[in-house]
Amino acid sequence: MKRNRLVATTVASTITLALALTACGSGDSGSGDGASGEAKSGDIRVWLVGTDTPQEARDYLKTTFEKENEGSTLTIEEQSWTGLVDKLTTSLASSDSPDIVEVGNTQAPAFTSAGFFKDLTGEFDTLGGEDLLPAFVDAGTYDGKFYAAPYYAGSRAVFYSQQVVGDGFKVPTTLDEYVTQGKALTTETRSGIYWPGQDWYNALPFVWENGGFIAEEKDGKWEAGFSSEGGIQGLEQVQDIMNTASRAPKDGQETDQQVPFCEGNIGFLSAPIWVQWSIKAPADAKAPGCPDTYGADLHAFALPGKEAGKPAVVLSGGSNIAIASKSKNPDLALKAYEIMLSDGYQKLMAAEGLIPAKISQAEFLPAGEIIEAGAAAAATAKGVPASPKWADVEAKRYLQDAFVQIAQGGDVKAIAEKLDQQIEETLNS
Amino acid sequence: MSTLNPTVTGTATAAPRSSGSGPRRTREGQRKKVSNAMYSVIAVIVFLCSAFPVYWMINSSFLPTNLIRNKDLTYFPGSAFTWQNYEDAIFNQERAPFLPALGNSVMVTFFVLVISMVLAFMASLAVTRFNFKGRKAFIVAILAVQMIPGEAMMISIFRIVDGWQLLNTIIGLGIVYLSGVLPFTIWTLRGFVAGVPAELEEAAMIDGCSRSKAFWRITFPLLAPGLVATGVFAFIQAWNEFVMALIIMTRPESMTLPLWLRTFQQATQATNWGGLMAGSVLIAIPVVIFFLIVQGRMTGGLVSGAVKG
Amino acid sequence: MSSSTLESSPAVELKDTLKPPKKPSAKLPWLLLAPSLLVLAVMVGYPLVNLFIMSFQKYERAQLMGVPAEWVGFKNYTDTLADPVFWTVLARSFAFMVVCVFLTMAIGILLALLMMRLNKFFRLLVSVGLLLAWAMPALAAVIVWGWIFDTQYGVVNNILTKITGDNWMGHSWLINPWMFFLVATLIIVWQSVPFVAFTMYAGLTQVPGEVLEAASLDGATPAQRFRLIMVPYVRSIMVVLIILSIIWDLRVFTQIFALQGIGGIADKTNTIGVYIYQMGMAQGHYGSASAIAVILVFIMMGISYYYVRQTIKEEEL
Repeated sequence: MKRNRLVATTVASTITLALALTACGSGDSGSGDGASGEAKSGDIRVWLVGTDTPQEARDYLKTTFEKENEGSTLTIEEQSWTGLVDKLTTSLASSDSPDIVEVGNTQAPAFTSAGFFKDLTGEFDTLGGEDLLPAFVDAGTYDGKFYAAPYYAGSRAVFYSQQVVGDGFKVPTTLDEYVTQGKALTTETRSGIYWPGQDWYNALPFVWENGGFIAEEKDGKWEAGFSSEGGIQGLEQVQDIMNTASRAPKDGQETDQQVPFCEGNIGFLSAPIWVQWSIKAPADAKAPGCPDTYGADLHAFALPGKEAGKPAVVLSGGSNIAIASKSKNPDLALKAYEIMLSDGYQKLMAAEGLIPAKISQAEFLPAGEIIEAGAAAAATAKGVPASPKWADVEAKRYLQDAFVQIAQGGDVKAIAEKLDQQIEETLNS
Repeated sequence: MSTLNPTVTGTATAAPRSSGSGPRRTREGQRKKVSNAMYSVIAVIVFLCSAFPVYWMINSSFLPTNLIRNKDLTYFPGSAFTWQNYEDAIFNQERAPFLPALGNSVMVTFFVLVISMVLAFMASLAVTRFNFKGRKAFIVAILAVQMIPGEAMMISIFRIVDGWQLLNTIIGLGIVYLSGVLPFTIWTLRGFVAGVPAELEEAAMIDGCSRSKAFWRITFPLLAPGLVATGVFAFIQAWNEFVMALIIMTRPESMTLPLWLRTFQQATQATNWGGLMAGSVLIAIPVVIFFLIVQGRMTGGLVSGAVKG
Repeated sequence: MSSSTLESSPAVELKDTLKPPKKPSAKLPWLLLAPSLLVLAVMVGYPLVNLFIMSFQKYERAQLMGVPAEWVGFKNYTDTLADPVFWTVLARSFAFMVVCVFLTMAIGILLALLMMRLNKFFRLLVSVGLLLAWAMPALAAVIVWGWIFDTQYGVVNNILTKITGDNWMGHSWLINPWMFFLVATLIIVWQSVPFVAFTMYAGLTQVPGEVLEAASLDGATPAQRFRLIMVPYVRSIMVVLIILSIIWDLRVFTQIFALQGIGGIADKTNTIGVYIYQMGMAQGHYGSASAIAVILVFIMMGISYYYVRQTIKEEEL
């Protein structure tokens, strides 16, 4: 299993949302608990998922918290993305609940909608208010209440190695040019555009750029748009690339892509930007890359859009953080929570190329072609439909199945229609 | 034991072992030799087929990671041989250390193995050697219980363990595993106990043994293979279980080995293939050792006594 | 000795021996059962009752956090039974189970017989080989097998390329549902044969050697010896193994779920175990998942009905 997390929504919807939130802030909940004043001391358990959070940030959180709250301790427990939803549904409802948890942004609605997280509506402004990444605020909000703040956003970029593309290479300015160049780079063994069939993240930009959509809510009913005119166009382009420009397994996953890349068998690799570390990992690392060969002149650009000069709308991953409803010490947990959103902490996250939780913190991002490419793409990133039922669509693997079939050369129209029907059925159930 | 065989076999005892005339015996002997050779060849083939994936795992565990995921497969480590993966797996997993996970797994498995064997033995004895009301119901229930899909019971079981405040404890996980293996162990042992005729005990009792003495002297040794088979089963179940451990043992310090193994494959970084393979080998080793011990002690001796001829 | 002795003696004798002696029922058997009963009642009985109750409720994630569940009567059941996906998945699981059980039992028994004939060294060799397969954590097993059949770096593709000279690299084994299940069958049979072989072997060692020897001197063919002498001795163990294999293979989860992650199309490869997991843990529809589980238990009870009745009858003696 892999994590499925996407950045959500457009700016417009965010503003309305922020307004709604401030309206809620003065309302019934949240502020009551906060007023109880001095927090008793105790141990705060923080669940961080996967290896994204750098060690420096972990140390910073622990020492800062323990210095500011004498007598209290903070324990970071690293969890895996594998089985995270199972683990959260059980642990957060148990007597041994952690206090603060990280959760993938598309997973968040499943929990916010069921009361697993503490309502932080009252704290929204102090935590950062409108400065918090809007798409993630949306993911962490349910029914007008705010439960989970953004933690960081990942971002995607298209990687290439100068040796593979050649010296005369010019970064493509439109999506069509990208496809043409990709096809030209393809050989018997090399994928011009590497695209394993299960990778549906990379397909969505093509759908969006052509005017298609995943699903939209109209009069309380969801309508899916893969079989819309633009959707079909996008999917046909996807199939064309999968068939003529990709040598990746038609039913493969997007894991360990550094391996074919380091064989020199990839022209363009559209992937999360952390993949750069896998490619550049030294030869004696636990999972070595190729820092001396194809990784030596690694470059990246933001996937170009339909029109020249504008990056394509992409999906980017990220995490939210929340305080557990069953936290034994929510006031103390809130203090740790605030540290995790603070400049000092987010600076350390940004140093790794993770896009910080607050818009104003973006300045901490280090300079560099790859991170800039990722940030450019993230700026216009779009998300999956904001419905708690969306997690069901992912759990049923509808999208993976559809794209594997497209990669196999199936009838795009029929596949899109079936996919739409499945998505509508799930979201409207 | 040999003195008992006549009682079991009844009519067959008289079969003279050394009968058969000369020439016929040699021809048979030759045929036997040929078929023995054939069996040995089959044995080797079975071994190879069965062990190949394991070999592949071991082979990869001794390779540097860049040779593991490579278009040119390395079928034998040769000069590329390295202990690095083991070193990494055992000592360099800072956030998921090996030794505590090993300790947890050993404790929980020991708990399950010992208790399940004792309980299942007692229960299987009760249902085969005694006739009482409710016996049939119990047997049917034991079977029915195994049909329930575990995935559907996870939540309820979790909540019981939570209710007892036993999350993240060896005992909590141990009880869950115990309830998981018990129906099976009782069920299987029952078959073995039933296979040992009660008349054996009765015969021994006539010879002047007490019932319990007759049982321990005669029935128990004959049950050894059954105990070994079910014991190995309980051991492997408890040792390798993943799903329940995932939700019950959530603190890093209470991790068991299967959970530890998962940490080599993270969604947001390149897979540590070498570590993954070395870790799998490390997990499999104790099972093999356990098996070799029990097999040498129990089945080996029994079998050579019973089958050779 | 005549062949008539051969046919009559062990079977009849065995039937007698299987009878539990009629001891007056006392406290002792209950005392022996008590600890097991306690564990099972609490850890299996209670969750089972819970499962049953949940199957009549709309039980979702919010209910875990204490929101009272709404009673929906038989809705979960009718929804499940009306869902064509459920029936497809069930039929698929069933077919898969039949193939796996048949192969597992056949190979397991043959291996047990083989082990009887081997000398100590080769027997140990086979045991160790089987044990290695069995001891491998299911997770590690799927990873290694997935790798053997990997599209880009797979052993099978590599060997096929070397043997045939054609380029097999890049051939996907999991994308075709039939091939997916071929690989899945291979993994499952590979991992379940050792248990069957060991148990059958343990059972066969209980067959007195003298009986077999006598039979072979009487001119019984190996097949006859197996059918007429060994089978009656190990019949109860064999039936137990078949029933257990049916149960396990019908419920199979880990291997299929992990293989789907590696490749293939989930919609065409889901089995009932994966379906329940998706419904329950993954999507949080615990009520529906419980209903499916209950239905599945009834189906399995149906399958084993004949056996259960037989058992009860025999136990009546």
